[in-house]
Amino acid sequence: MKITQDIKESTIIMTLDGELDASSSVILDEELSDPEIMKYSKILVDCQNLNYISSAGLGVFISHLQRFEDAQIKLIFFNMQDKVRNVFEILGLDLLMTIVTNYEEAITIADE
Amino acid sequence: MLYKTNVKSLLVTAAIISWVLLLGNVLLMAESVRQPGAIKLALPYINNLLIIVFILSVFLFQRLSANNLKGIDFSSYLWNLFSKAAIAAYLSIALYFAYKLSTGYARLQSPLLLHLVYQVNFGLLVYFLAKSFYIWRQLLLYHKNKFLQVAWEWFELLLFSTLILTLLNFNYTNYIFLPLFGLFGCYILFLCTNLKWVAYLSFNKKSRSLVLLGAILVSCYIFTKFFQEFSDSQELVIDYSDVGFLMLAMMFVGCYTLAAFLVSLFSLPTSSVFEQKSEDLLNFQRLSQSIQQGQNESQVYNTLFESTIKASDATAAWFEMVRGNNTHVSHLLNINNEQIERIRHLLLAYNIQNIDYINNNLDRNTGFRDLALPWKSLIILPIKSKKHIFGTLYLLRDIEQGFDRETVNVLRTFTSQTILTIENLRLVAESLQNERYKEELKIATQVQESLIPKTFPTDSWFEIATHAVAAKEVGGDFYDFLQLSESRIAIIIGDVSGKGISAAFHMAQMKGIFHGLMQQDMPPSEFMKQANSALSRCLEKTSFITSSLYIIDYRMQGFMFARAGHCHTLYYNAMMEDVFYFQTDGLGLGIVRDKSYNNHVREMYYDYNPGDVMVIYTDGIVEARNAANDEYGEDRLKYMLTQTYHLEAEDIKCAIINDLEDFTGPDNLYDDQTLLVIKFKPVQPKA
Repeated sequence: MKITQDIKESTIIMTLDGELDASSSVILDEELSDPEIMKYSKILVDCQNLNYISSAGLGVFISHLQRFEDAQIKLIFFNMQDKVRNVFEILGLDLLMTIVTNYEEAITIADE
Repeated sequence: MLYKTNVKSLLVTAAIISWVLLLGNVLLMAESVRQPGAIKLALPYINNLLIIVFILSVFLFQRLSANNLKGIDFSSYLWNLFSKAAIAAYLSIALYFAYKLSTGYARLQSPLLLHLVYQVNFGLLVYFLAKSFYIWRQLLLYHKNKFLQVAWEWFELLLFSTLILTLLNFNYTNYIFLPLFGLFGCYILFLCTNLKWVAYLSFNKKSRSLVLLGAILVSCYIFTKFFQEFSDSQELVIDYSDVGFLMLAMMFVGCYTLAAFLVSLFSLPTSSVFEQKSEDLLNFQRLSQSIQQGQNESQVYNTLFESTIKASDATAAWFEMVRGNNTHVSHLLNINNEQIERIRHLLLAYNIQNIDYINNNLDRNTGFRDLALPWKSLIILPIKSKKHIFGTLYLLRDIEQGFDRETVNVLRTFTSQTILTIENLRLVAESLQNERYKEELKIATQVQESLIPKTFPTDSWFEIATHAVAAKEVGGDFYDFLQLSESRIAIIIGDVSGKGISAAFHMAQMKGIFHGLMQQDMPPSEFMKQANSALSRCLEKTSFITSSLYIIDYRMQGFMFARAGHCHTLYYNAMMEDVFYFQTDGLGLGIVRDKSYNNHVREMYYDYNPGDVMVIYTDGIVEARNAANDEYGEDRLKYMLTQTYHLEAEDIKCAIINDLEDFTGPDNLYDDQTLLVIKFKPVQPKA
């Protein structure tokens, strides 16, 4: 699992590369727990190279969801692979989280 | 059968009797010399025989006693020899002077008294020789090899064979024997070179041994002098200096004592080096044994600190331990914190606090000179492996060139041994921890197994087949049922996120919630809402549970169900001959922890027909992967049902599981797999 951050003004673009399982979800949790991240109003998560997400990985996003919502930080996923999106949908997370097809769409929604 | 103690007492008796008889015979002889008219009762050859018996019994007795001596406390051997035998020489000289004094004062010539003194001294001499002979054997054969052992046995044999000369009354000073005795002397000299034990004496023990060896040497001298004095005396009827055996034995004892004395004396200056080496070795041993002895890291550091100071003779030292990102001084010797701080500041400026560093001329370095420290040499030894830095050791000496290459090598060996020991200690601790986790997982597996029902109710209107395997790590799959009434049954399936003990614990909670809430017989959507509310209070933030609940009503020929984030239900409708997934919405439990969850759960009612098949499963089935990392997937599962729906529930299940195993290959289980196949049957009229 590799996580890279790209910062553009008030937007932070997080690129996930690899498989998000029980062990790598710890890294993600550290990144999302960083107090610095609360400075940005938009977090865009690029899932193009995210091949797999386990329940532990989902748990990390779920645990931070409420915190971002309270701080009015928009969390937007984009470029999600079908099988990963399926996992989000089965769990019902597609109704709670913003999942869009591509970067342009993510930017548009983030700027609304 | 003669026992050793019996033999010993026999020898003592033989020695005493032979000596007394010898004394009697000698006195008789002396009497017959004084009074030429007296009857010659004494026989000369008897004397020789008695001498040999006496010598042999004393030597054999000592030979047996010496075998009991063990251990490597050589100075106690020497003390034993001195206190029990060498002192005899001083006794004998005291006795002689007492005789001289008494004859001097009383002015009386008593050949009887002289013979008595001479005889007693002979007894003491033999005892001394026997004792020292066998103690020297013990020391000489220390660290022996085969050759030395054989050489000694021959020496003993040859020496004892010289007693034959005495028995036959040969004069050993005869020119025939002289070259032989010369050769024998060389043999003795060769034996005297075996002094390995001296090397094992420490400086203190060596100086004590020198005193003892000196005293023993004096004993040898006294005895030799005494018997030489009387060798050609006209007053005596017997002359023990004629006994070649005694002369040779004395030669060996004297030579060996002298050799030991000289070697001890000359090795005295080097003994501190050997002491240091053996001390270092012992400390290495202590370091490497720390693991077996169950010591902790701080004890290892104590050993390191003490041993390196001893090995380098350092006058001041300190050790900094690294814990996480902090360092703190854990050991101090002759240095205060302020001085340490100053040295560290300087080292920080040079950037050399974490590498091997030696400065043998601190005074020539301006930085150190400005600190005005009382030391002239410094060595820094970081204790670090490739992965960790454990600490840094600083040693200081008050002389220039204080750390020579030899010392530095020893110090480095100490530090590398310490690193090894610490790493091994950590590995041992880690493996213990792993053992504990394994034990924990075992418990969790047992808990999980006990939570899953082994038997389902069998009834005429439906059949059910189940399959459940847990991956190596305990996962959180579970299913359960509850008979609500005669014609209604509730079936729940779920998956708890996370693994191990916590998953097993949440499973147990979920089972409790299921049984608790369903007692009140509520619709599935209501159950999900209440379960979510209950779990919200106890589930940790990163955990959630997916679940589906089905209530099958046989009288109504239908079922109600709700899905909370769980995998879609696969269904075969016999009437339409169609296989499809129920695509319903539903959020997992514990994801939203307030009332808004109520908007995220849907309930569905479906009328079933006889022959319909319902397949319930967990994500371990559809997310199972093959070697190429492809997922089994919903489509393949659906296809399997289209091929097998006409079979019985058990056979459908087997067909799916077999296909799944064909797909993944053997031993390729990443996640728990649970599969339930329910087939509705035409209602049978009750008998």
